[in-house]
Amino acid sequence: MAMATTHRFPQFKYVDAVRWLPLQSPFHRFAVLALFDSDTDSSSIQIHSFNPNPLSFDSQFSWPSPSRISSLRTSHFLQKPLIVASTSSGSLHFLFADPSHAELLSEASLPDAALHSLPASSVDLMDAAVECVTVGEDGRVNLVNVGESNLSYRRIFDSGGLVSYTAVRWASPMEFATGGYGFSLQWWDQRKPGGPVSQFKGDWDKKLTSGIVHSIDIHPSRKHTCLAGGSLGTVFAWDLRWQQQPIILSGAGAGNAAVQSISESEVWEVQYDCCIKSNTSSTRILPSMICSEDGILGVIEQGEEPVELLAEPCAINSFDIDRHNPSDVICSLEWEAVAILTRQ
Amino acid sequence: MASDTVGNGSLVPFTGDSAAVYPLHHGLPLPISRLSISWSRGNTLRLSLFAGAAAKVVEVKVNSEDSEIPDAHWRRIAYGSVAPFALLQSQRSSISSLLKTPSPYHSDWWEHVLQYSKEIGTLLGGSKLTNSPIIEGPNILVKTDEMPTCLQAAWELIEIFYVDKQSQAWLPERLVDWLADYDSLFTSTHETIHGKLVDFQKELGNIQVIEDDPRYWDLLSSALSVGWLDVVVRMLRLHGSYQLDQLSNRELENGLVEAVAVLISKMPRLRPESDGKLGDCYKSKPDFIKAWEKWRSQITKLDHSPFWIQCDNQQTHEGLRNLLQIMLGNIESLCLATCYWIELYISHFLYIRPFTMGIESMYNLAEKCIQLKPQSSIHRLTGLMIGILEENTEVVLAECSREFGPWLVAHAIELLTTGSEQSEILLHEDRYNLGGISIVELHRLAYAQILSSHALTWQIAPIYLTSCMKQGMGLLENLLYRQSVQHNDVLLKNIEICRLYELDHISSNIMKIAGVYHWKHGHKGAGVFWLQQAQDRSCLDRIAQQLFDSVGKSISDESFKKWEGMIELLGSESNPAGGLEFLHKYRDFKKSLKKVSGGKSTDAARQAVGSLILLMKNPSTPQRFWLPLLHDSLKLLNWQDCPLLSVSETNLLLNKLQELSLAKLCAHYTEPSLPPNALSSIRLALATNLGRAILDE
Repeated sequence: MAMATTHRFPQFKYVDAVRWLPLQSPFHRFAVLALFDSDTDSSSIQIHSFNPNPLSFDSQFSWPSPSRISSLRTSHFLQKPLIVASTSSGSLHFLFADPSHAELLSEASLPDAALHSLPASSVDLMDAAVECVTVGEDGRVNLVNVGESNLSYRRIFDSGGLVSYTAVRWASPMEFATGGYGFSLQWWDQRKPGGPVSQFKGDWDKKLTSGIVHSIDIHPSRKHTCLAGGSLGTVFAWDLRWQQQPIILSGAGAGNAAVQSISESEVWEVQYDCCIKSNTSSTRILPSMICSEDGILGVIEQGEEPVELLAEPCAINSFDIDRHNPSDVICSLEWEAVAILTRQ
Repeated sequence: MASDTVGNGSLVPFTGDSAAVYPLHHGLPLPISRLSISWSRGNTLRLSLFAGAAAKVVEVKVNSEDSEIPDAHWRRIAYGSVAPFALLQSQRSSISSLLKTPSPYHSDWWEHVLQYSKEIGTLLGGSKLTNSPIIEGPNILVKTDEMPTCLQAAWELIEIFYVDKQSQAWLPERLVDWLADYDSLFTSTHETIHGKLVDFQKELGNIQVIEDDPRYWDLLSSALSVGWLDVVVRMLRLHGSYQLDQLSNRELENGLVEAVAVLISKMPRLRPESDGKLGDCYKSKPDFIKAWEKWRSQITKLDHSPFWIQCDNQQTHEGLRNLLQIMLGNIESLCLATCYWIELYISHFLYIRPFTMGIESMYNLAEKCIQLKPQSSIHRLTGLMIGILEENTEVVLAECSREFGPWLVAHAIELLTTGSEQSEILLHEDRYNLGGISIVELHRLAYAQILSSHALTWQIAPIYLTSCMKQGMGLLENLLYRQSVQHNDVLLKNIEICRLYELDHISSNIMKIAGVYHWKHGHKGAGVFWLQQAQDRSCLDRIAQQLFDSVGKSISDESFKKWEGMIELLGSESNPAGGLEFLHKYRDFKKSLKKVSGGKSTDAARQAVGSLILLMKNPSTPQRFWLPLLHDSLKLLNWQDCPLLSVSETNLLLNKLQELSLAKLCAHYTEPSLPPNALSSIRLALATNLGRAILDE
């Protein structure tokens, strides 16, 4: 276990997702929680302020959501924090927050089933912009733009259910990557419409049982590498320049003794860990953090032993590394709680 | 619903306690013509109401009986108790495998159980509440902000009697502490010393001369009788004679008050450590007896002191001497000072029989106390306490179950079995009247059932089910099959649980169900993925036929792009794809054909022919594709440079054509949409090729 101070905050509500709110304030830290109250069958997005000394984690603001949140992202636009959430009924919501008071300034939504017909959809927000990409299990890929007062969207692909997408991530203002069943990854370029420009085939190992990609991350300095996490503790990197050869970083099914597996079940989220300064030669994959169904929050680095930050008796559904203070990590625990870690 | 439908024409005569009434807000015009009731998730009733053409479904949450702990807190307790429970079970199984006996009754076993009990105790109440030594202000006698729960009190009571062997020697003192922590809980049903103290504390600021108030002396004797020494001493120091302006003319009175206060704070206690409380602690019995005798003689001496006559404040005089009587164990004074039988019982331990006695004599003493202080209403903790003192495990279980619900029974049963081999046998033997399972298993199953009924807790039920030898696995299978396959997170959790408990056959069935569900809902990719994971060849074959219909319709290259992702999903030949592997080969053929269409490379053309032959040989290639495939390959058949197909290959294709013409006579044959002369041009091309090939060979 690595050295870290952990604080747990029971919520008495199921935490569907957590994100830090990117806000540069010396006194306040804000986290966004997507909550589901099973007693009243209602969902909400709440902004909590975190204070390490004296310790507090209090709700500042709550926005009632029409249904459960399936994907949550935060970003900032013109120095204003921006939250985007997709729901299980297929609606999409943009919330603009007030940085000084953590209040909601405005909200814009797309109604149910406008974008996706299926429960699960994944969304990603472009950094410092208001362009958003959504993908769903129904096989649709949409681009959503926030205008002055309204949202506009266009569907750039529809596989008609032949292919389902479970994860999406922007690589550049023109390109993004998606992931889906069978450990598949697709690379898209808005300048080349009509379908993915490149596909990564999942069956790199004949012995490997297949799985689903749950999360993708792309580092701004290495846009050609796509990091993906999914079933069976699998984390791999796909370098566009080495088309069909993945670099396996963790995975129970990998059948490769040289790769240690940090988890054996679903890796729900993966993010590059900017906190760890490694001796980065450009050939190595940058260190990354994962959270898993079997309760692991840990850091993996190519060729190194994985480091566990947290080993919980319940699943860790999502986590986020604070981009301004990368030593701080927030994660949501399945047993209706949130944990905040501060690494030494 | 109109209440009179229940009142006037009830179907089942209702007896017993008054019924709970849940008002419904349905907004339908009366009368309601039809009503159907079913259980929804958890303890929610789903009512479908029909009134004429209008209908509405309403859900009514039937309140859980325990209003003390809200549902969300119950869930937190449920989550938190998983790890200690699982640890204890694994310790139990490792010990019993070590000893090769089914019973884990072992000399050190209670230490494991105690650790378990302490962890659950912490979960229930956080840090232990301390009643007395908080001095926050002069007017604070008892803490009122944090209320303990009955559940916590019940757990600790069971722990005191059944588990903690180490402190068995100072059991009376542990009961004293227990009452100090939880006396406030009894306020709900009767008057308690804690309740009286709280009331008095509220008025404390308004009382001018405290020692003139009779309640002051009443409460002093009450608090002393149950051993709250800190409260008593603090209250004594509020006595008016301590005030600086009065000290000079009330010197003697003050001396007496202080003497009593010192005596109280020096009371010998048979307990290991003081925990910051007043009193002199003695670990060994002989030391304690010596100190006890000495202390009693000091009290007697003070009681007979001549100073009392000189004390002119009548109330102080009487009040202080009453305190001395309490300390000397005067039964009448104790009876007057205490409010209900448990308080009286505790005072017996403190001032009359301060030594541990057998549980039987403890029970007799309790009976005596109940006679002296008959109870008008019974508190839920009282029943439990009597059951424990009666040494009747079944009564204890019944009380736990009736008053505190399945969580407590399922978890406290671990504590009950540590006491004796007898109760171990009682609880663990299989019983015919319970369907061949033991009492322990029955209660675990009941608790697991509660967990299973809630969307957030069903995933911890397997921990309890797998600890049930007889029926646990069967119910676990039921539970897993019952979960929805609609959402990936639930589905994947389900599969994860199967993996943990090595239930491969269930997980493969669940994946099949998921596959069919997704297929039916038009998510063809997801459907194929799950059927592949389940290795369900027959299902894949069947859906393949449906899939080819849509492929056949969109044979043009543009729309085929949509299929690319799906074909990628099918993966290599090693993955079971059933009839779908045709798609893979078809894609390969299409690709090589595309290469040929532009250039004149014979190698590329040969490759395409290879793909074509593979496709035509493969039994999984649907018949309806034969003609379009051949039509697409006309260019290959008529290749300029040389014949690409050998004689045998050409014969194979001709045979296929023959088969097709026979199939045309069948009823289900569907004509592919091809140009009218397609068949004849294929025949011609094949014949030409055959001729050229024969010449070549």
